[in-house]
Amino acid sequence: MLEALPGLRRVEHIMGMPIVLDVRDEIVDEDTVDAMFDWLRWVDAVFSTYKHDSEISRLNRGELARSDVHPEVAGVLERCEKLRSETDGYFDMRAASADVVDPSGLVKGWSVDGAAAILDVAGFRNYALNAAGDMRVRGRAAPEWCWRVGIQHPLERDKVARVIETTGLAVATSGEYARGEHVFDPHTHLPPEGILSVTITGPDLATADAYATAAFAMGAERATHWTARLQGYEAMTILADGRVLSTPGFPS
Amino acid sequence: MRKRIAVVATTATIAIPVGNAIAASRPTLATVTPKKRVVILTKTVSGQAYEADRWGPLRVTLVVKKTTTIVGTRRTIARKITAVHVPVSPNHTDRSVFINQQALPLLEQEALHAQFTGGIQMISGASNSSDAFIQSLQGALAAAHKV
Repeated sequence: MLEALPGLRRVEHIMGMPIVLDVRDEIVDEDTVDAMFDWLRWVDAVFSTYKHDSEISRLNRGELARSDVHPEVAGVLERCEKLRSETDGYFDMRAASADVVDPSGLVKGWSVDGAAAILDVAGFRNYALNAAGDMRVRGRAAPEWCWRVGIQHPLERDKVARVIETTGLAVATSGEYARGEHVFDPHTHLPPEGILSVTITGPDLATADAYATAAFAMGAERATHWTARLQGYEAMTILADGRVLSTPGFPS
Repeated sequence: MRKRIAVVATTATIAIPVGNAIAASRPTLATVTPKKRVVILTKTVSGQAYEADRWGPLRVTLVVKKTTTIVGTRRTIARKITAVHVPVSPNHTDRSVFINQQALPLLEQEALHAQFTGGIQMISGASNSSDAFIQSLQGALAAAHKV
């Protein structure tokens, strides 16, 4: 007889992507799960560049002053600016145009961090929250098993390039295979060269995701040097020539 | 997404009435103990097949075990997912066939392992194919809830 899986699994489509929550606690408070998905929907309503009424859309049309935005919006925009200097300009919310801001590159990871905080506060101990391939995991998949996170193989779509075993981590991967070539070098406006994907692990997903996006945009040579200097975050870079370069502390 | 649920097949229906021993022990009127009945139903439910980019359709199927415990007028229902399958796999092109043989069993095994051996639970950097998997899984999960 197959053993049943404890906890709860739920998938919702928010921010244009599937968000998968997999809780392995024996007892799950579904009201908390509802509240967590409500939070993600709120973030989408406020930050989406696709929604006409979002604060970001209104800000970009000049209908909302930067000083009048929601405190959470102000915080995210400030963090984007800090990340821009941290990444030598490779993470840039103004990459598309100097006149508009698009914090989407940070919002996904940041909102998942917030969602994880909601679960943590409510006493959730064993869960994975995956937003289209970028995730936070905590605890264990089963009492005797860590969570096992596969890193997508960049060339063979149904394979993984490596497996991470963890009991608490944020994992973000940026690569051109995920949604077509959507990452550009903000300096040259060209797709990055010689690089297939970058995976960053660390304590929070907002930072990990922004670092992964930036490092991928840098291209092979700059990315390998830049990721080697990261503090508190680990990187695994897959190059077009087939080499996989990992920082010494990258989990396995 | 939940509107797209398709219940595809019923594999087995087993009804097992148990626990009549108490009722058979001739209770007095003052100590009537309600009869307890347990009905176990195993069903296979599928999500909508989703196009996985150029790799063809993916359909996720769950095996759901529903246990209904009836004590008097009280009815308790427990549902457990006991298996995950990907029966419809991409096979449109030569390349897809190659991937199907080489890799998709891995994708399926991962989901199955997650149930009881601790395989891969999550993939970072999900491809379109994995998105299709997730979408079909969502449909199947929603269908499982209605068994």
